[in-house]
Amino acid sequence: MATQAHSLSYAGCNFLRQRLVLSTLSGRPVKIRKIRARDDNPGLRDFEASFIRLLDKITNGSRIEINQTGTTLYYQPGLLFGGSVEHDCSVLRSIGYYLEGLLCLAPFMKHPLKIVLRGVTNDQVDPSVDVLKATALPLLKQFGIDGESFDLKIVRRGMPPGGGGEVFFSCPVRKVLKPIQLTDPGKIKRIRGMAYSVRVSPQMANRIVDSARSILNKFIPDIYIYTDHMKGVNSGKSPGFGLSLVAETTSGTFLSAELASNPQGQGAAVLPEDLGRNCARLLLEEIHRGGCVDSTNQSLALLLMTLGQQDVSKVLLGPISPYTIEFLRHLKSFFQIMFKIETKPCGEELKGGDKILMTCVGVGFSNLSKTLK
Amino acid sequence: GDKHARPSRRYHGQKPGSKDLIEETSDIEDLLKKEEDYKEENNYSTETSGAVKWKEDLSRKAAEAFLRQQQAAPNLRKLVYGTVTEDAEDDDRDGQEELGGLFHIRQPDGGCKYKADALDCSRFPVQAPHNWDLEEVMNSIRDCFVTGEWEEDKDAAKILAKDDE
Repeated sequence: MATQAHSLSYAGCNFLRQRLVLSTLSGRPVKIRKIRARDDNPGLRDFEASFIRLLDKITNGSRIEINQTGTTLYYQPGLLFGGSVEHDCSVLRSIGYYLEGLLCLAPFMKHPLKIVLRGVTNDQVDPSVDVLKATALPLLKQFGIDGESFDLKIVRRGMPPGGGGEVFFSCPVRKVLKPIQLTDPGKIKRIRGMAYSVRVSPQMANRIVDSARSILNKFIPDIYIYTDHMKGVNSGKSPGFGLSLVAETTSGTFLSAELASNPQGQGAAVLPEDLGRNCARLLLEEIHRGGCVDSTNQSLALLLMTLGQQDVSKVLLGPISPYTIEFLRHLKSFFQIMFKIETKPCGEELKGGDKILMTCVGVGFSNLSKTLK
Repeated sequence: GDKHARPSRRYHGQKPGSKDLIEETSDIEDLLKKEEDYKEENNYSTETSGAVKWKEDLSRKAAEAFLRQQQAAPNLRKLVYGTVTEDAEDDDRDGQEELGGLFHIRQPDGGCKYKADALDCSRFPVQAPHNWDLEEVMNSIRDCFVTGEWEEDKDAAKILAKDDE
């Protein structure tokens, strides 16, 4: 373990997860100061504390120090251990918030991670479990992370503010990652979706489907939107509905969009027809951005390229998000990796906006925690 | 661009002559060379051959696209890593303002102030949504679909057939 490594220092609560995740993977401790220092309610929030507890559960020998006001956090990572874990996520953020961190770490555990996460499965802030299942899992497969045990399942659906959802995630471990060459996004051959509703009329989902189809049918005939109406204990504690859409291309690219209804007691009631149409338009926006990786998964792709074997990896992206830009800076700090960034103008082609080609040479990270057989 | 320069200077200080930087610089030099060569070629063809009108236009368009790309690329790099490797040395000299020879003026790290405590979320919200009811907006992504135009080197039928297997 790199306990003697010089620690990196940051300020503020933003990008907390990427800092902790990269710290864990690189073995470099981090110190984060001034966490909401000027806020009326300073320090770490419950959902962040819950994320830190989760990291503690899946690692062995991590050292976590938080000052009395919660405005300063010191994290010295231990070894990624994995195994069977259960975790109650804070309902202030959805399970997607926690899952995004786990997707980065799970392939590098000593024992394959099998985790039950409880909380909110779908909200308006973070990528939902449905979207991560449909986009992040196929992306991990491109890097050679695959197998029978690779699974992400929604056991119970839970909407905010009450939550009550449950998710099962299991991921195989790999010693090394394959480099990728994702430069051709291919063409969209079908659109799939999931219209869900809990504790409201099941008719809501059907109304969402019809309105979303009315827009997408102008582009492609192969559209299928499943409806999912979980009942009883499987429907969580709060009513709500929503839609996630995924466009799949001939070369295995998955682009997604999603919308959820306002949480009970917050904001005006949303009409399912409006939600369906707006979500379809968001998918068209995502298609316009384009690239070989969905905008929410950009940083996951760049991380796995960085950790790949010492070989060239390339990926074509749409415009890079502010979250990804910060992630690239962090990759430079933690792994001394800088990407070559080239703009590919759209020109005369009818394929949306300008694209960006990202190239790097992997650091040749190998999973030392993994038990040899 | 002083506020962007800070992180890279640190990088410079830590790793003088790092491999990355040398590669980058030579890359940029290569590109600049290509750019010069290209212009010369362009002049040559328009002066001597008196070529067909559309060809002239084509090379101009290509040159413009190339220039646009050249300008956009370093900007993006600058946006991400704080600076373009070329002008890192210039920035070293300025930005060292002193007050009364004793106090250094502290410069906020590249716009970090407003976002340091912002929401930690990977979603990338659409800033300026298109109007998807307009025919021309819809057409802007037509070829992203199998129902659109295919590149010449790709046989649509073959790819789709392979897919069904």
